[in-house]
Amino acid sequence: MINAHRLRQRARILRALRRWFDDHGYLEVHTPAIVPAGAMEPYLEPVQVGAGQLHTSPEFAMKRVLAAGLGRIYQIGPCFRDEEVGAHHSLEFTMLEWYRVGAGTPELIDEVEALVGAAAEAVDLEAPTFRRVTTSALLADDGDPDSWFHRWVSEVEPTLTMPTIVTEYPAWQAALARVRGDVADRFEVYLGGLELANAFAEEPASSELRERAAAADIVRRAAGRQPHPVDHAFLDAVDHMPRCAGIAMGIDRLVMALTGAQDIAEVQARHPEFGVRLPPPDSG
Amino acid sequence: MALKYDTSDFRNGLKIELDNAPYVMTYFQFVKPGKGTAFTRTKLKNMLTGSVIERTFRTGEKVEAAEVEDQPMEYLYDDGEFYHFMNTETFDQVQILGTVIADEAKLLTENLKVTVLFYKNRAVSVSLPPFIQSEVVYTEPGQKGNTATGATKAAELACGATIQVPLFVNQGETLKVDTRTGEYVSRVKN
Repeated sequence: MINAHRLRQRARILRALRRWFDDHGYLEVHTPAIVPAGAMEPYLEPVQVGAGQLHTSPEFAMKRVLAAGLGRIYQIGPCFRDEEVGAHHSLEFTMLEWYRVGAGTPELIDEVEALVGAAAEAVDLEAPTFRRVTTSALLADDGDPDSWFHRWVSEVEPTLTMPTIVTEYPAWQAALARVRGDVADRFEVYLGGLELANAFAEEPASSELRERAAAADIVRRAAGRQPHPVDHAFLDAVDHMPRCAGIAMGIDRLVMALTGAQDIAEVQARHPEFGVRLPPPDSG
Repeated sequence: MALKYDTSDFRNGLKIELDNAPYVMTYFQFVKPGKGTAFTRTKLKNMLTGSVIERTFRTGEKVEAAEVEDQPMEYLYDDGEFYHFMNTETFDQVQILGTVIADEAKLLTENLKVTVLFYKNRAVSVSLPPFIQSEVVYTEPGQKGNTATGATKAAELACGATIQVPLFVNQGETLKVDTRTGEYVSRVKN
């Protein structure tokens, strides 16, 4: 199905995003989608291609570019997450990822507000005003990931209908963010009830990330999953990366939130018989 | 051993047993927080009471199928509280509380062929054919030739429902109505 109106709105939003990055000294980069290791986090499933994987985000490659000293960079391109299909999920989707060198999450929050404002204006909407709230104000941390996420999805997320920036995540879900005390220096952006973006103050020590990768392996083995391959070139580069904060934003969801589309298929020029719903594993 | 469904079987209309009551799924959505595990968020309508609950299932979680049986029947009449149906082969009659089938009840017309659902041998719910026909018993006078798209007015139907119709529809005309949305489809030539 092709929704011409939504695709025109999408193009206007993309043009506004690229203009914003141009105006703010960002360099556009394209890193390959086929990589040796597509993810490091326990609950992301890369799509296998030959001896490699499709990236679930361009994070590892962009951090190698950062370590090479290219300064502020951004990328807009396809990412792939296996087993994620629904009205708000698509196995292939478009990610915007950017890194601000020499900055932390507060500066990145300011950029999110400015950038989303520019995207809103591109489709004749007013720039949204985001409220800020910590995870602990929304949900007590009982240290159990299974129950935390179950309560987050069933009780908290449905209440995040206004533009919201959620900060200070429990340390056990730091992913690749820095941890201060028992809090991960991470934030997420909600717009139109959709989880739009995830941001980190980037953890600068490869030794710390290797430990987290090992912890993720244990979670994956316990769930009957293969451990993720380790990207040593990326981990070695982390130690040479400048202090920075980075963020990944789902562009399909941004377009959905700004246009009122109810299904992600409305904002993608999808083949009518492919990618809308995957067959269940044993439909025989 | 009762039949079980897991979250990959979820679809609208699925009938499941939860806390010793039958529920029909009216909404389901895959949700996965960026850093977390996958869930399916659902809305479930209690087939005994008509009340709707929200429930979030973990991916792979199993639920029992509700043991319900279908029987083709014909709608007879309502007595103000209960709606009465008859099996036209055995002439068995059953009744269902109107408040439980409020959405369907508005679209029931005499002798309409429906499917009645039984849970533990008790009639609990009714499903309608995709379309019904019903006469307009009241609407503001028609505006002949006004086919402006989007412009509508209310029309009261013989079956009891009030629906939005295009301006050219007149009192006394028979309309085709989509029972899944409760919306006007077209006029039917008498």
